[in-house]
Parts: sequence; structure tokens; C-alpha cells
Amino acid sequence: MTKISQVSVGAQDATSKLFRAREHSVEVEARPLGGDDIKPRKFNPPLPRRYYLYLLAPAIGILAFISLYPFFWLIFLSMQDVDIMGGNWVGLENYANLLTDRRFLNGWSLLLKYSAACLFLQLTIGVILAVIVNNSRYEKVLVTALLMPMMMAPAVAGLLWLFLYNGTFGWYHWIMESLGILGSASILAKADTAMAAIVMVDVWQWTPLITLIALAGLKRVPRDQLEANMVDGASPLRNFFAITLPNLYPVLVIGVLLRFMDNFRFIDHILVLTGGGPASATKILPVYLFEVAFKFFKLGRGAAIALTLLLVTIVLGKILVSVFDKPKGSRS
Amino acid sequence: MASVTFKNVWKYYGKTPAVKDLNIECPDGSFVSILGPSGCGKSSTMRMLAGLEHISAGDILFDGERINDLPPKDRDVAMVFENYALYPHKTVLENIANPLRLRSVDDDMIKARVDAAAKLLEIDHLLDRRPHELSGGQKQRVAIGRAIVREPRLFLFDEPIAHLDAKLRAHMRGEIKHLQRTLGTTMIYVTHDQLEALSMADYIAVMHDGELQQWGTPSEIFNKPVNAWVAGFVGEPAMNFVTCDLVGHNQEVFLRHENFEIPLLPDQVGKLNGAASAGTARMGVRPDALEISLTKPHQPSITGEVFVNELLGGDMLVEVLLDGSRIRVKTVPEFDGQPGDRCHITVNREKWHIFDAMDGHAYF
Repeated sequence: MTKISQVSVGAQDATSKLFRAREHSVEVEARPLGGDDIKPRKFNPPLPRRYYLYLLAPAIGILAFISLYPFFWLIFLSMQDVDIMGGNWVGLENYANLLTDRRFLNGWSLLLKYSAACLFLQLTIGVILAVIVNNSRYEKVLVTALLMPMMMAPAVAGLLWLFLYNGTFGWYHWIMESLGILGSASILAKADTAMAAIVMVDVWQWTPLITLIALAGLKRVPRDQLEANMVDGASPLRNFFAITLPNLYPVLVIGVLLRFMDNFRFIDHILVLTGGGPASATKILPVYLFEVAFKFFKLGRGAAIALTLLLVTIVLGKILVSVFDKPKGSRS
Repeated sequence: MASVTFKNVWKYYGKTPAVKDLNIECPDGSFVSILGPSGCGKSSTMRMLAGLEHISAGDILFDGERINDLPPKDRDVAMVFENYALYPHKTVLENIANPLRLRSVDDDMIKARVDAAAKLLEIDHLLDRRPHELSGGQKQRVAIGRAIVREPRLFLFDEPIAHLDAKLRAHMRGEIKHLQRTLGTTMIYVTHDQLEALSMADYIAVMHDGELQQWGTPSEIFNKPVNAWVAGFVGEPAMNFVTCDLVGHNQEVFLRHENFEIPLLPDQVGKLNGAASAGTARMGVRPDALEISLTKPHQPSITGEVFVNELLGGDMLVEVLLDGSRIRVKTVPEFDGQPGDRCHITVNREKWHIFDAMDGHAYF
């Protein structure tokens, strides 16, 4: 039986190898009549598409006006030394100056630290919360409660925490001091605690987003794989790391992408809480950019900083998306 | 290897019972098939065995030892799922090795065991692939490989070949049966396909609406169904049922219908336990225990009218119209009755069954 099938499919080597397991059952392999060279005599013309351009034109025009025009204006601006009276062309001098600007480089290192701390805490806490919520009977109530911080404007969140951190009547300040963790100095007045404080606000406000995304991901973790692994002999904890986490991975990448781009943009709460202080300890790059462009009105220099920030955001985003797009097979 | 005992096992989902008072004794090393339509509680039974569902009432024993409270990982069973449940981010090799890795077996041993399992299932050339690169039949072999790579006390197969195409399914039936004989491990095999159960199992447990209907060898299930439901569920094409009157007359008992009057065999009369006076009963007979002809035979026969002919390659299935019912007869393809023709059916009375008209239990 096996021999007959091998002879009959012998011509198509690749396919016969792929379906070796089937050879035993498919005893006679049917082949289509004719060959690969059959083609229709005539192809139908494609659908006419002459209206498309006219229909799309207004949208493209508006998009160009509100997004492309300012973008190129920004590039143009970054090549000038701008003040109230107007600008004069300086070429790449703004960029060259950035390389020796210590506050600029410090802004980058603070931004990366801030972003890494936020992402790490949000991912860890977010996933743990999602697992708890997913196994709870009160899932809907919990999700509603979790959503509340996200609905708040970031500046309002900053104000709220400003009160909580206040050295005279702040509740958190009082708790920390009573427990002996912190001295009497205000949380926001010391360099290391100030950074932790703004990370804390971001974590408080945006962990629920990760929780929501992870919760959606948990819903589609295949139950049969979890069960198969349990029967194979896995403990619940190993089951989580072996099955749940790999299945959660794609949605978490989306969460990381959203959050890291937000970290590069949202500075509302930092401006409200510390304004970049004390002594530049929380002056992450977007805050420095805000200062240069809108406090000192160095618009050309600000544009140059903004463009470097944009460039890095795009590159990091691309890397993340490519990791996400990688076919399942090549991941380990 | 283990014997499996169900003792008064119940399963409730909320207030709905899915398995009702199940009592089964599966001997060590046997191939047991749990057969039933969807929603009959067969999968719940299997999941209780694997430890994936709480056992609402009663006990399940492996070798006389109660396992109700053991978590799945400590029950030492291996399960093949209906949709294979392979781990998509792992290679075939790692999928099969998973149960051993979780038990911290050393690497050389794992390699030897995986290779042996892969050879047995003829998937040794696929070990580097990932599940999405495999065909349905290959995935199914990998899933079986994951089950046989260690030596569990019990195999649980949950409709493992239901998603394969008909030819491959026929092939895998033989493969799985052979595998079980080779390994000698007790196997519980859940299926809704009566052909799979009949062809593979040593014992079949037929379930319906959460209740065990009949426990027996395939031939007992097929030839001596305990009630009309089992008789109708097992066998393809399905058994014919005709409601008739039982009439006693001169020591003989006749089965009477508008279209026929046929006496029971003498030993069958005894099995009725005097129910003859009860009046109506249901006669059940499989299509292959009937013979059809256009001329009236000498022995008592059923007279009807050809309704439709279905040619099934080597056989022909003729549907015959009686007063108030239809029966199907398996005959040779040369039968040339046309729809509307008058025809006569003789019954092999050794092979017919009489069921109670009320509760459907079989007299014989």
C-alpha cells in the first residue's frame, strides 16, 4: 500500500515529504488534468478607479495642512536662530550645539531611566492586577474602579498628588514620615525621591491601561493549552510562565509601545509637581524642551531638540513593531 | 497502568446535572470507549478523570485508590485533546518533551524517549517544526506523542481524530488501536462516532443525557442493545423501528401491523415475560437483517411500497413506505424496484428486537 502511494506522488518531492504521514491513508494520489500551463484566454479589465483621486483629495489636503506643513516648518525652524524679531539661518549649528549641551544629555539619561522605571512597574503590576481581576467574581466592578485614574486629566492627577506629597498636610508624606521611611524633608524636594514620586504618579495613572490590555489578552489565552500543560504536570505558577505569558506577549508589546510613546510626550504631571527640579533632577528631555522653547523662547534650538526626540521615538517604535510583527515561528 | 473505577459519580454545572450516578469498572490494560451524542456528559466524565473538573459527588478510583482530590499533575494521566492543544511557540520536539521537562527528567533520557515516540508515530522528520507548519494529521500525531512519551497510568483520548478527513480517520483508528495494544496501557477514549467505538474498543460505555445506558463489548452493544435508544444510536444505517401490536394466538405470539403479521420465534415468546397481553410494542430491525423482493415470498413478509432508492456503491439502500412509517432495507445494487412499486420484505427473525412501547427497554 505504502509503495503505491510513494510511486504516485514521487514526482512532487517537496509535497510528498511534507505530507509523509498521509501516505498510508491516501493510496491513490489524484492529480489534476492538464498542467501548470493552463491559463484563462482573456483577463477581465480591473475596475475603473478614476474617481478615487478626486474623492481623496480634500482629505489629503487637510492632512497635509495640519500635519505635514508644521512638520516641515519645524525642520526649517531648527536650522535658524529665532527670536522675537525673526530668524537668521545658521544651518546645523543648533544640532552641533546639542552635542555639548550637558542639560540635553542629562535630559536623555533621565528620560530613559524614567521611562524604563515606569514601563517595568506598569507591566509587572498591570499583569498581576489583570490576573487577579480575571479570576475575580467582581470583574466588572473592579474594571470600572481601575479605570478611574485613567479618566483624569494628567495635570489634575499631578495636582492631586501634589497635595498628597505636600510636606505640611500631605497624607503620603505623613505616612512615609510616620513609618520612618523618609525624613521630614518634602518628598519632592530631594533629588532621588522626587524622581520616584513622578514615576509613582505615572504608574498610578497608567497601570490600569496595561491591566485592561492584559485582561483582553488573558481572555484569549487558549484554555486547552493551559489544561494540556496541567495534565502534562505543570504547577499553576509554571503554567502561567509557560502558557499564559507567551500568549500575552503580543498584546503586552502594544501596551509597551503606547506607554513608552506617552512617556516621551506627557509631562503635565511633572510640570505641576516639580517643574523639572529640584536642581534638574527630574528634568527629563521633554521638560527641558518645554523650557528651552517656551520659557527661554529659543525656538530654533527647541525645534532641534524636538526633532531628535521625534527621531528616537520613531526608531524605538519601529524596533518594537518589528519585534511584534515577527512570525510566531521565529520566536523562542 | 491502572484499573479505573467510577463509584456513583455525579457532575453538576450549577443546578444542571451533566453526569448522573455513573458506575463503571474499567479493567487494567483495557481500551474503553465512552460513546454518546454531544451533550451526553462524556467529555465531563473525561475531564473529571483528568482533574480538570471538580467531581460533584461520588468517587473515582485508580487501582482502588481514591484520586478525587489530586491535582492534574499528580494523577499521572496523559490526555490528547480534541483540538490537539499544542504549544504554538514550541517546536514539535519541545511539545513532546514537555511532560518530561516538567518532571525534571535529564536531557539524555528526554532525547531517547522523544526519539522513540517520534519513530513510533513516524514524525521523527518533523521534530524541528512548529505546530503551525504541520497538517492536521501531523498535529494529531504530535499530540499523541506528547501523551505516550512518558509511561502514564492512564491514557485519556478526547475525540482525537474527530477533525481529520474521512480517509485519515479510518487510518488513524487502526493506528491508535495498535498503539494501545503495543503499550498495554489502560485507555479511555471519548467519541461521538459509533463506528470508532465499535472498531477500536474492548468495552463501550454508551451514555445519553448524563446517564450510562449500556456497558459491554462492541458486539454486545451492537447485537444486544438494552434499550431502543442504544439500538438507534449504534449502527449505520440506523435501525428501523415500527410500532406494532403483540397478539397472542394458539400458543404463538404475532407481531401485527397494517402491513404485516409475523409470528415470533418460540424462544422469543418466553422472553416477553407475558407482556404479550400488553398490546403495543416497538419492533426494531437493522437494514441488513431485511431482504426485499418484488415477488411475494412464501414466508410471512411485510408489504410496502418503494419510496426511494439510494445507491451506495456496493450496496443499495431502499426506503419502503408502510402505513404510518418508513423502513430502510439494505439490498444488492441490482434491485430494480422503482418508486411506487409494490414490494415485499422478509425479516431475519433471529436478528430482530422487541422494545417496550413505554420505556423502550429491550425484551430481546
